[in-house]
Amino acid sequence: MLRVDGLVKHYGDVIALDGCTFAVERGRMLGFLGPNGAGKTTSMRVIFRLVDPDAGSVTWDGGPVGVAVRLRFGYMPEQRGLYPKMKVGDQLVWLARMHGMDAAAAAAATERWLDAFDLADRRTDTVEALSHGNQQRVQLIAALIHDPELLVLDEPFNGLDPIGAETMARVLRERAAAGTAVLFSSHQLDVVEDLCEDVAIINDGRIVLSGDVRELKASSNRRVLEVEAGAGSGDLLDGLDGVLSSAFDGHRHRVVVDAAADVRHVLAAADRDGAVQHLSYSTPSLSELFKEVVA
Amino acid sequence: MRPRHEGVLAARTGPAAADGHPPSVNALLLVMQRELVTRLSAGYLVSSAAFLLVLVGVIVVPTMLSGPTTYDVGTVGDGNREVLDTAADRANRDAPADERTSFDVTSLGDADAARRAVADGTVDAVLIDGTEVVVRRASGFGGNDLLDLLQQAAGGRQVERLVPAEALPRVQGALDGRALEVTTLSGQDAGQTEGRSIIAYGGILLTYVLILQYGVWTVSGVAEEKSNRVMEILLSTARPWQLFAGKVIGIAALGLLQFSTTLLAAVVAVRVSGAFELPAIPTDFIGTLVVWVLLGFAMYMVVFGAAGALTSRPEDAQSAMAPISVVVMIGFFGSFAVLRNPDGIMGLIGTFVPFWAPFVVPVRAALGALPVWQGVAAAALSLVTIAGLTVLSARVYRGGSLHLGGRLGWRQALRGADA
Repeated sequence: MLRVDGLVKHYGDVIALDGCTFAVERGRMLGFLGPNGAGKTTSMRVIFRLVDPDAGSVTWDGGPVGVAVRLRFGYMPEQRGLYPKMKVGDQLVWLARMHGMDAAAAAAATERWLDAFDLADRRTDTVEALSHGNQQRVQLIAALIHDPELLVLDEPFNGLDPIGAETMARVLRERAAAGTAVLFSSHQLDVVEDLCEDVAIINDGRIVLSGDVRELKASSNRRVLEVEAGAGSGDLLDGLDGVLSSAFDGHRHRVVVDAAADVRHVLAAADRDGAVQHLSYSTPSLSELFKEVVA
Repeated sequence: MRPRHEGVLAARTGPAAADGHPPSVNALLLVMQRELVTRLSAGYLVSSAAFLLVLVGVIVVPTMLSGPTTYDVGTVGDGNREVLDTAADRANRDAPADERTSFDVTSLGDADAARRAVADGTVDAVLIDGTEVVVRRASGFGGNDLLDLLQQAAGGRQVERLVPAEALPRVQGALDGRALEVTTLSGQDAGQTEGRSIIAYGGILLTYVLILQYGVWTVSGVAEEKSNRVMEILLSTARPWQLFAGKVIGIAALGLLQFSTTLLAAVVAVRVSGAFELPAIPTDFIGTLVVWVLLGFAMYMVVFGAAGALTSRPEDAQSAMAPISVVVMIGFFGSFAVLRNPDGIMGLIGTFVPFWAPFVVPVRAALGALPVWQGVAAAALSLVTIAGLTVLSARVYRGGSLHLGGRLGWRQALRGADA
């Protein structure tokens, strides 16, 4: 398990991290969320000692994270980068060996991953000769090639087309299922909600919400009531007892209510306005939780 | 040529734990290996081979073209025969058998005939009465071998005529610039010192060229890694100093390989063709020289690597190099002043300023003007400087590596690994 504990990092007057604490367990995927500049990239860089924290610690399975331990981690930085003039196969073999694999194992892993990503016929092409999408795939392979115990990806879904995003999601699921601890940052909350068991939301350098996504949603003191009524006349539900906020798009009411509130009077009010055709009562989405803690 | 990873080093860099290499050595060797493999491209090999070919050609071809020289000389009047005989004697005194000089003499009627013969190229020159010579035109900067030869011969004849026989050797010694007998306190004879200083200059020139040529590679190599952003991945797998040292050593090894190949080819070509006399090489001094070439090269490669880390784009490499190049040039050209006065204050300062020592110490050593303690102290100081610079440069490398966009100041890079 990766444990990040009380990280503090100042750049002059700017506070990048202010007691950032979270954990990633083996076999689970943690979505790392936060507005731009909240400290996501800095936290990831601290894990790889690209940045020295002013205070706090990073441990793996309870022990310190030295060079030897880091070799068992995989990293895909936000600033993607490979040697453009080096051949795809050579580059992957080299990076695998930088992670401590021997020449034969590195070559075998390169074959396996290039096959898995349909890039086997591009092995002898230089990286710069590949399309943008294929370069992204090679970048991902570079992070995976040594079967890392911890995988850290900074905005892995950035710039991916839908097929690329699907491949990325599939690979991350497979790795987590195989026992890898996966940590990735994203602004795409629906992707995170779809993929991750755990989430950590960072704002102004500190974690403002973290835990199992389903538990977080269930323990929220809000619920979302969606009501689709016939020819509704407008937003009549705002201000009703137990209603925290309400929106109406001319067709559908979306009402955030207190989890403890009885909502029958809200339904009744909606029904009076126009016959209710569709109704749902659910825990808030990740995006709502996010807005709640980051706003 | 396809770069292959199953190269020389491959067998030695297996799994970090399995074959006994700690991961640190593994990373350093891998980075070195990558530098060598990717830089030893087909294009590089072809251009290096072409350069070698040209170099060997420049040395060998002139000797193939050389051979016996025969001048066509016209004569008018008397007293010419003696001058020509003396000239031939002088020219052939030290010449190998296949490079002898001879004169094909044509007797001409008068001065007018002499002018015509020179003008139409029948003869190269006409001697008149042993006291005058007619040639087509005055010699330029390059000199005129025939005219020089005739002048010296005629001069020698005149001295012989004017000076009593018993005084002749001393007079000739005086004329040849050897009026005084020389005793040196250093115990070196003049010829040996000359040989040493020529070799010292060869070595310093080598250091100078090595530093500037491979400095460009180092700066742009590091800058490229930053601009293509591969640095962040590399830094996540190894310590900055391993990446830095691996890269610098890789490039430096390639530089030394190319230069020693070139040097070897040149020496072999000279020896085989006998193009010119190589000075006798005092072996004790060669050791000193090699040490200083290596120290100087290593020191500047480290500094250039740091300069590369301060730039974001390969295009900035030139401006990042400029201040360092100035320091190199001061050392290089300053060493000429030291050659004239090896015991002076400049020599002393240069010996103990590590950036200049590689240019100054070999000169002083060649002239026997370097006390042993100074040599040892200067070498130790240089080694300490290299070690310190490596630590410092690795820090700049790491600090500068994650910084993109514009040049980064030295202080800023040193202060924060991530500013």
